[in-house]
Amino acid sequence: MTVLILTSQEDVTADMVVLRLREAGVPVVRLDPADLTNGVALSGEYIQGTSRGHLSVGGRLVSVNGVRSVWVRRPGAPAARAAQPSAWLTEESSQALYGLLRSTAARWMNHPDAARRARHKPWQLHLAQGSGLAVPATLITTFPQAAREFAERFPDLVVKPVSGAHPQEPPRAVPTSRVAPDADFAAVAYGPTLLQRRVAKRADIRLTVVGGTLLAARKPVAPDGHPDDVDVRFAPSVSPWLPAEVPPRVAEGVLRYMAGAELAYGAFDFAEDADGIWWFLECNQSGQFGFVEMDTGQPIAATIADWLAGHGSSGDRCAEGDRSAAS
Amino acid sequence: MQPFTLNYARPAVQLDVTVPYAYDSGLQLNVLPDGRIAATDHATLRALGTTTSTAGSKTHFDD
Repeated sequence: MTVLILTSQEDVTADMVVLRLREAGVPVVRLDPADLTNGVALSGEYIQGTSRGHLSVGGRLVSVNGVRSVWVRRPGAPAARAAQPSAWLTEESSQALYGLLRSTAARWMNHPDAARRARHKPWQLHLAQGSGLAVPATLITTFPQAAREFAERFPDLVVKPVSGAHPQEPPRAVPTSRVAPDADFAAVAYGPTLLQRRVAKRADIRLTVVGGTLLAARKPVAPDGHPDDVDVRFAPSVSPWLPAEVPPRVAEGVLRYMAGAELAYGAFDFAEDADGIWWFLECNQSGQFGFVEMDTGQPIAATIADWLAGHGSSGDRCAEGDRSAAS
Repeated sequence: MQPFTLNYARPAVQLDVTVPYAYDSGLQLNVLPDGRIAATDHATLRALGTTTSTAGSKTHFDD
């Protein structure tokens, strides 16, 4: 049985897992759906009550019925690198590839349906609340007056994109940013705006969840850190990520979240306040983990490899990501 | 009529970095010029920031 990894060639983070699988003697086929019809080929047939299918890449041929798990890591858009790419060909290729794979009994990390739903931040906040996690007061609105009233109630706010996407043409980044006390909210009318009470944090937390395994890392904020340095991705780094213990109540909430989201993998961001409370910020269903593993030495890649190989811990039932043939 | 959120946008850092490794389809891994597996060279990966959370990319929302 083979582990199928869908990701780009340059994804060295995926390499970390491929290495672990190789060490364990687990067959791996790695391909980028972007290479469909130009290096990657597929075939499926449905004849006389039976179905079977194959994928091939780089001289490797795998039966889709022999796929034990699918890791949807960082795949390109199907057929994006075809000789004559088009939106139509991408849709055709997407339906063919993912339709074939959805028909198998393979377990997914993460299932495309669960992944798509899990990207919606409002849904994340709702699920986090329902899972018992602490969520900072948040408003998503296009009503300027609602934003003003929220700012009166919670004077210290941050703003961040709802989708996490960053605008192109020209390429720009939109970090989580502190909102000035005298901000003019009139422009809220021109796009959904996510405002959130700023957590005065003493540390950032990255909690990587693989099946039922929780691996937490903590990066303390500099004692003299500026309160405007809200986004850890843009703030000056004064410490590496360090391994951290997960408070039991947070662990319970996170596992409830994973089960509710039907995710097998999730990278949670929390802000830890002065009282030690972990405030849920978001859960990236395909978040990076290489930088955490390199800083902390935590065996994240090995844990992912174990899960893909089917050796997950006993706690995995709540987060199997296992919609398999039902989808 | 710029949305409020874009008042906080900044130019994206264009990482014009040429990675020193190349994909080996036989190994299904990226390999350095001296033959070593790139993923085992943490110093190179740190220098390139290729495994980090980077505040979004064109094709993937998840950091």
